[in-house]
Amino acid sequence: MTPARLAVAVALVAAAVALPHVAGPFWMGLVTQMIVFGLLALSVDLLLGHAGLFSVCHGSFFAVAAYTTAILQVRYGVPTALAAPAGLVAGTLLGLVFGLAVRTRGVYFILITIAFGYVVWGVAHRWSSFTGGDNGVTNVPFPAVGSWRVESHVEYYYLALAAAALLALGYRVLVRSPFGLALRGIKGSESRMRTLGYDSNRHLYAAFVLSAVLASMAGVLYVYYNRFVNPVAASFPVSVEAALMAIVGGTGTIAGPFIGSAIILGLRNWVSSFFELYAAVMGLVFIVAVLWVPEGLVGLALRLSGRTARG
Amino acid sequence: MSAAVEVAELVKEFGGLRAVDGVSLRVPSGERRVLIGPNGAGKTTLFHCVTGTLAPSAGRVTFFGRDVTRLPEHRRTALGMGRTFQISNVIADLTCLENVTLAALGTDPRKWMVQRPVTALVDVRRAAQASLELVGLAPQAGETVRRLSYGEQRQLELALALTARPRALFLDEPCAGLSPSERARIARLIGGLPRTLTVLMIEHDMDVALGLADRVTVLHRGRVILDGPPAEVQSDPQVREVYFGHV
Repeated sequence: MTPARLAVAVALVAAAVALPHVAGPFWMGLVTQMIVFGLLALSVDLLLGHAGLFSVCHGSFFAVAAYTTAILQVRYGVPTALAAPAGLVAGTLLGLVFGLAVRTRGVYFILITIAFGYVVWGVAHRWSSFTGGDNGVTNVPFPAVGSWRVESHVEYYYLALAAAALLALGYRVLVRSPFGLALRGIKGSESRMRTLGYDSNRHLYAAFVLSAVLASMAGVLYVYYNRFVNPVAASFPVSVEAALMAIVGGTGTIAGPFIGSAIILGLRNWVSSFFELYAAVMGLVFIVAVLWVPEGLVGLALRLSGRTARG
Repeated sequence: MSAAVEVAELVKEFGGLRAVDGVSLRVPSGERRVLIGPNGAGKTTLFHCVTGTLAPSAGRVTFFGRDVTRLPEHRRTALGMGRTFQISNVIADLTCLENVTLAALGTDPRKWMVQRPVTALVDVRRAAQASLELVGLAPQAGETVRRLSYGEQRQLELALALTARPRALFLDEPCAGLSPSERARIARLIGGLPRTLTVLMIEHDMDVALGLADRVTVLHRGRVILDGPPAEVQSDPQVREVYFGHV
């Protein structure tokens, strides 16, 4: 790490730790949301930026993990120490099933993941006796494990921050590993990788399941922050926005999805305060990003500084 | 001893077209075999069927005594097939070193490793670097492949096939599109490969082909029309007619 990057990292950590002392509850909530959706975007980008697969069903893992945790915690009084891991397991199991999508490529992969996403959304929306229908599951408490409990949004912000930092570090190890390099090889030329001895479908399946695990973690963090979950979490826009966050920030990087999440959620909050058609403004942002800055902001910065994008 | 590569009555049909029409050939271990024939003779399609890029419509492929006809491509690579393509198939967004690193890991179970950086695998790195040195690309190790010249990409193509230490090498026009000096370099490199390695090569350049070959197989319209030592093939009137045109 160069001294300049070290300085930036130290400054970021200091700012993140100091933030609650200068920002009010509204801002803390927004920043926590940025972290949670940044993780979801990061999970999508493992496929998009590294393996070259555009998944549009990651809202499903996110929502199934959130619902599972919420239902167990609220309706059955299951403690966090079990409810949170159960949410993670539920999202992962769904990932093992939806991972079958890697048998297809390109537009067919996109279509089948859209279809998967709608199945989950439909279940959340229609199976009211179990999921609570449109109202969803409300009154999710703050997480508590034994005598340790989160008691404020500020504490929860620190928890989300620590979780995101750990997951980002793990992600960094993963993308630099032989497995991560193989994913980039498959993105570059799948036929060449098969000739080199790689069973590309198995690699892509493993990547899909790993990204579902990460999306599930984001889902568990989301439900304890949001305190409720409804079918919106499983909806198509959540999956698409997660991908667009990665694209706006910069695919194939770690900072990119978080930066994209911050920009999009920040912009939405700001624009929606004075303009009803904020969704149209978001659409314009995406068009500009895809047409003129397809490598995202991190990619652009790296290009301007003469380096190639790398995890 | 069984042959390195044995093809029996191989057929590959595309719709109504029989690109490969009942080809049989036997390449003993260690031989340098060159496949020649006019465009559309079925040479590349035959290679695809042998290395597993395509599934044959009928017939059998045996590799060192093992029937591999139904084996997927990556499994054949694990058994020791190395392959280059007529049109360079390299990973443009990665560096040269990353490309050959992937080649070194392709037949290694550590390709599944997630907990250590790829750069920490010292033996893999060494094998990758050795392979770049062999083809003369060591100075470009850190360069993104997209920025390499066409000739350098052909060299990398060859390095990718050699890195995993195959038992048999399938080279599809390794010299296509190269300058005379680059051709000579690749030809020298192929000529210098250890004799334990079996080499099958498709080549249009007769000087390269006849200089390297122990034996030449001539394909025409999906069939083998002659199989013999270079001198015999060169003087055969039928070959002269189909290969060099009507004279």
